Amino acid sequence: MIPGLWMIIASILLPIIPHYFRKPAMVLSVFLSSLTLLNGFGTFLTWEILGFNLTLYHSDNLTLPFAIIFHLASLLVIIYGWHNKNMMENIATLAYAGSAIGALHAGDFISLFIWWEATALTSVFIVLAGNTASARNSAMRYLIIQVCSGVLLLIGASMMVYQTGNHELTKLDLSSNFGVFIFLAFGIKAAFPFLNGWLQDSYPESSPTGTVALSAFTTKLAIYALARTFPGTESLIWIGAIMTAFPVFFAVIENDLRRVLSFSLNNQLGFMVVGIGIGTELSLNGTVAHAFVHIIYKALLFMSMGAVLHRVGTTKASELGGLYKYMPLTTIFCIVGAMSISAFPLFSGFVAKSLIMSALGGQGLILIYFILFFASAGVLEHSGIKIPYFAFFAHERKTKVKEAPFNMLLAMGIAALLCIGIGVYPKYLYSILPYAVDYQPYSIDHIVSQLQLLVFAILAFLFLVKFNLYPSEIKSTVLNSDWFYRKMLPGIGKPLFKTLSFIINEIYSLIAFLFKLSLGKTKSFTQVHYIKVTSPGFAALVLILILFLMLLIAII
Amino acid sequence: MKNNNLKTYAKYFSQFIIAIAGLLVIIDFTIHRHAYFYLEEIIGFPAIFGFVCFVLIVIVGKQLRKILMRKEDYYDK
Repeated sequence: MIPGLWMIIASILLPIIPHYFRKPAMVLSVFLSSLTLLNGFGTFLTWEILGFNLTLYHSDNLTLPFAIIFHLASLLVIIYGWHNKNMMENIATLAYAGSAIGALHAGDFISLFIWWEATALTSVFIVLAGNTASARNSAMRYLIIQVCSGVLLLIGASMMVYQTGNHELTKLDLSSNFGVFIFLAFGIKAAFPFLNGWLQDSYPESSPTGTVALSAFTTKLAIYALARTFPGTESLIWIGAIMTAFPVFFAVIENDLRRVLSFSLNNQLGFMVVGIGIGTELSLNGTVAHAFVHIIYKALLFMSMGAVLHRVGTTKASELGGLYKYMPLTTIFCIVGAMSISAFPLFSGFVAKSLIMSALGGQGLILIYFILFFASAGVLEHSGIKIPYFAFFAHERKTKVKEAPFNMLLAMGIAALLCIGIGVYPKYLYSILPYAVDYQPYSIDHIVSQLQLLVFAILAFLFLVKFNLYPSEIKSTVLNSDWFYRKMLPGIGKPLFKTLSFIINEIYSLIAFLFKLSLGKTKSFTQVHYIKVTSPGFAALVLILILFLMLLIAII
Repeated sequence: MKNNNLKTYAKYFSQFIIAIAGLLVIIDFTIHRHAYFYLEEIIGFPAIFGFVCFVLIVIVGKQLRKILMRKEDYYDK
């Protein structure tokens, strides 16, 4: 059985399972799927179709750590969403996690493409389940971008088959044109700079439980795919370094705390991308370790903000504060997540980030090293301080709020324990990494250096607050790269599109008029509007044109 | 006293952080830290780097508001 397939089967059967057993069935499906982890390494299932030999189930040292953490994340998501009765969201979540796990085990680009699209099509329903007008609009944009990534992957894969006759999931480079397409496809899902708009747009629009699921899979699947196909690609080092640095500034001024976490997610992906770019055994280990611990602490942070959203109804920093009194456990769990992501010694972020930093140091990449050092201070700013400070402290709260429900607390508690456990005993994490590790994160040099950075950054925060220099939260929208397709393109295209739709409408009405006239039912020529200009619709049109052009260029 | 809870905590927290910060600087004088780059080995460098970076991020972020900040319903129009 392909890993993840049990979960997809369960998601299809979910509506006919009596509702008492739905959540246990979800857990059972994850458990059954996780049994495949014991199979060891090798190729277990191939399928010959239309002359293609598809590798549906292949497992090796890079797959295993991702498969473990994806299963673990699925469990956490189910426990966290135990109270959630939204059928569409439950089905989508389980199928989405299953597809992501299936994608990890694909051994060729064609089966990867199928899973790649499956994750896109299932996850869009999670965004839709946010169930507000803005969530629905955001979901449409999300779908367009995700499908675009899938189509780029398909273009790349078919060109690869056409040119080399091979579709195996092997190392590629950017010297071939299909390599560039596949790189871009992965780049969209990994939220490269300027391709990142969809992430901050859609994740904060989902429900409290939905965001936790979303944050775990899509982007880390892209990191896995990049690590498999483009290790040692030098441009990734710079792309990653920019990714760590720029979201830091956006996160400072963003008001919605779940959007702050989405920027922070982007910044964390940057660390992993740098690790892939260096491409040594140490750095790839660092990337995998970072992805592993990152899924846990990012889920923990999103869970704590989800709990706040569940109880208070908003995650806007300008409307929160003082929750520590009413949600003490959530506060503690959030702080554990915040300390992990900031890489305090004895927390999980520290033991993973050190690997990447050491790999950078070993290569003598001084500029990148200090950009990442700078970004570490940035992580502390937005995830370490801003999130807990504005949600739980900042000022006293007047209205009472209930503590998060038990199942949410349980999921957060497990995640928090894992954060500390991995930080204290890193050897278990190190033992599942792709390459043998001989690394000791806890040296006095390293601890003192990291603590100095963090503690003095906190000191800077206290200093800024004391002198009222820390920016207060303002209700606002912060422009991000999604502005290009939400404002700029529609702005340019609307007049053009209006003329076009006017002409088409006229033709339609004329046809309708003639048709009705022939039936002898109508007396007047009435203008009927058949086409309405919408931003997602226009974006889809532009995307189709761009993809068409790309394909044309590629064939020539 | 009841309403001043947060302020008292903040005071204790600040004192705690200042104490740790002082301790870290003292430790730095007693040991020689090994790092990949000479810059990082300078006594107190990570401390100054962290402090300066943090202030820089906040100040630059504040200025970015002038360019990037729009009304909350910006996209809804």
